[in-house]
Amino acid sequence: MMILPSEEEMTDQDKQKIEEDAFMSRRGFLGLLGKCTVCAGALVTATSSANRVLSGDKGATFQQSEAQHIESLKNPPKIPDYDWTKHQWAFGVDTDRCIGCLRCMEACKAENTVQEDSSHHRTWVERYVYLEGSDKALVDSQADPKNIQNVRSETKFRFDNRYKDVKVDKAYFVPKLCNQCENPSCVQVCPTGATFKAPDGVVLIDATYCIGCQYCVQACPYGARSFNEQRGTAEKCNWCYHRITKGLNPACVDACPTGTRVFGDRNDKDSPINMFIKNHRVQVLKPEMGNAPNVYYLGIDREVS
Amino acid sequence: MHKHIVRLLGLIAIFALISIAARAFFTDDSFYQYGHYRGNSPAEIASKVPKVKGSASCQSCHKGIYAEWVGGIHRKGTKDGSIRGLVVKYGPNCEVCHTAAAGNHPSKETMPLSIEDKVSTITHLKQHTHATNVPGKSLLLSPEDARSVCLNCHEKMPGRPLEQKQIEIERHAGVEMCVTCHNPHSPKIDFASVPRLVAMQKVIPGNAKAGKEVAKNCAACHGVAGVSLSPAMPNLAGQHAVYMDGALRAFKSKSRDNVMMSTLASGMSDADMQNVAAYYAQASCKVTGGDKSKIVAGKSKAEEAGCAACHHSRGLHGSGLAGVSASQVWPNLAGQNADYLASTLKGFKDGSRYHSVMTSVAKTLGASDIDNLAAYYASVNCK
Repeated sequence: MMILPSEEEMTDQDKQKIEEDAFMSRRGFLGLLGKCTVCAGALVTATSSANRVLSGDKGATFQQSEAQHIESLKNPPKIPDYDWTKHQWAFGVDTDRCIGCLRCMEACKAENTVQEDSSHHRTWVERYVYLEGSDKALVDSQADPKNIQNVRSETKFRFDNRYKDVKVDKAYFVPKLCNQCENPSCVQVCPTGATFKAPDGVVLIDATYCIGCQYCVQACPYGARSFNEQRGTAEKCNWCYHRITKGLNPACVDACPTGTRVFGDRNDKDSPINMFIKNHRVQVLKPEMGNAPNVYYLGIDREVS
Repeated sequence: MHKHIVRLLGLIAIFALISIAARAFFTDDSFYQYGHYRGNSPAEIASKVPKVKGSASCQSCHKGIYAEWVGGIHRKGTKDGSIRGLVVKYGPNCEVCHTAAAGNHPSKETMPLSIEDKVSTITHLKQHTHATNVPGKSLLLSPEDARSVCLNCHEKMPGRPLEQKQIEIERHAGVEMCVTCHNPHSPKIDFASVPRLVAMQKVIPGNAKAGKEVAKNCAACHGVAGVSLSPAMPNLAGQHAVYMDGALRAFKSKSRDNVMMSTLASGMSDADMQNVAAYYAQASCKVTGGDKSKIVAGKSKAEEAGCAACHHSRGLHGSGLAGVSASQVWPNLAGQNADYLASTLKGFKDGSRYHSVMTSVAKTLGASDIDNLAAYYASVNCK
């Protein structure tokens, strides 16, 4: 005859065994319920995102509700010959070809009436120089006092040839502009809704709603924004939205004499930007910030940020 | 309820009503249409008029220059307009050098500004409006401007990719302007049209009287009047002052290799160089006759090989003075010692001396060509 141990004498293992024997104990039921919930959730997410990828719909843009997303699809803004749901703009920068002539900056200023001095800009160029035996880059831009002093004008942008008499291991120019991030910090902090992410990928500024608080200037991790004292509003590159919606390239892309700047529509598989991304190994600036930039760089070091 | 509480609640209610009314009144109807922003603003931003219009807009009026540009290497940087399989627009267009025409062009109707650009709410002393808003700013570039624009892309600088054509201006042109040889719209040199126009940077003329004193140090080899004592040394009489000044500077900086001259030049100040150059420039040269047949052969070779383009006063397209260079930066050859000329050409040919143009020209010359050319230029008078 088997002698059952008394309740007090039962070990934990014994208790567990008894519970497992039961067809569905309370613990088992709750565990199963939890697992089912997780699986169902994963399934729903997977199918809905798969649907979105297959249908080409990226879903709501940054800080946009589902209803507003549907409105932006059904009733897009009235821009002649342009539907913002059909485009996903992106930009490429081939630093291997940049000669630092700063004609992009000149063209941008003319096109967008940016203040003419070299410290206000929507796009600019940085120079990274590694002197012989040094792992640390010396960085300057056209706004560097020595470069301004060299041309004796704040309105002619030029890199001073200051490294011609020293030994340089490596040097290159890096054009910079607004990254039109997928998760833009500047949009997140704007208190008035003056800056926003359009569904075609461009982050725009509504100058009539901008109160000039400059919070966005502080928020941008790439320093792409500046303040226009003349207009009293924030200023930044918008990939020449008035040009790209008319089928033109941004002014800097048209002005670049070496083809460093590449622009196009990600939805068009033969566009220059898709060819650029397909044919090269590209990277974005500061991926660790989580901003998910839309400007792809080729030929830069880790030091560039 | 106490009276003061009722009053307070009343005030709060009135304030709330005013707030709600103000919000309804001031918020744009299209706000929240697509998100937390004004739904009308994308269309407003997109309605701006583009100002950078591309070369096609220049073509309608400036047909000749447009054709030069389209046919030249500034249109395309590579043969087929592509690099590493990627086809891109390549090469500078009109507006890269001349700036955007809109608002800056003599005919304002064809190049209008957008409304936004005509309005500026706050004027700030330091920040001017951009040059494109300034009426009457010329789109034409002076030779000085052009030189600065050329160097913007073509100055040799660390960081520029090797495929980019780069020059060291001191060695390449000295004080001469780019447009003397190059047509900026199609910069590959066409020797048939050199000199295009001779426009030098401002040069301070030296003092010939003061130069006579300095010249005493040179007389041992180059003669008191600038006619050398040995045929292996160059005559200086009648040479361009700017060229001599540049040569002395090159010897001083050792960018031109000659131990004797470098030693002498290192003891000279900038003023000494200008003065001695001015002194020899005004002296008259001595012509030596030679073998007639060599002179005739040399004369025809000077035209054929392209020497005349730079070293005759009106180039290949006029009957100017032979051996007298169009630009002060290029040396006169008239009245030069035949032996010295021949050895210089051989130096360019074998690479012991380098000059971007002379090296390539000298490589096309045979030994007899060099002899004939030297004899020809020795027989021509420099004045």
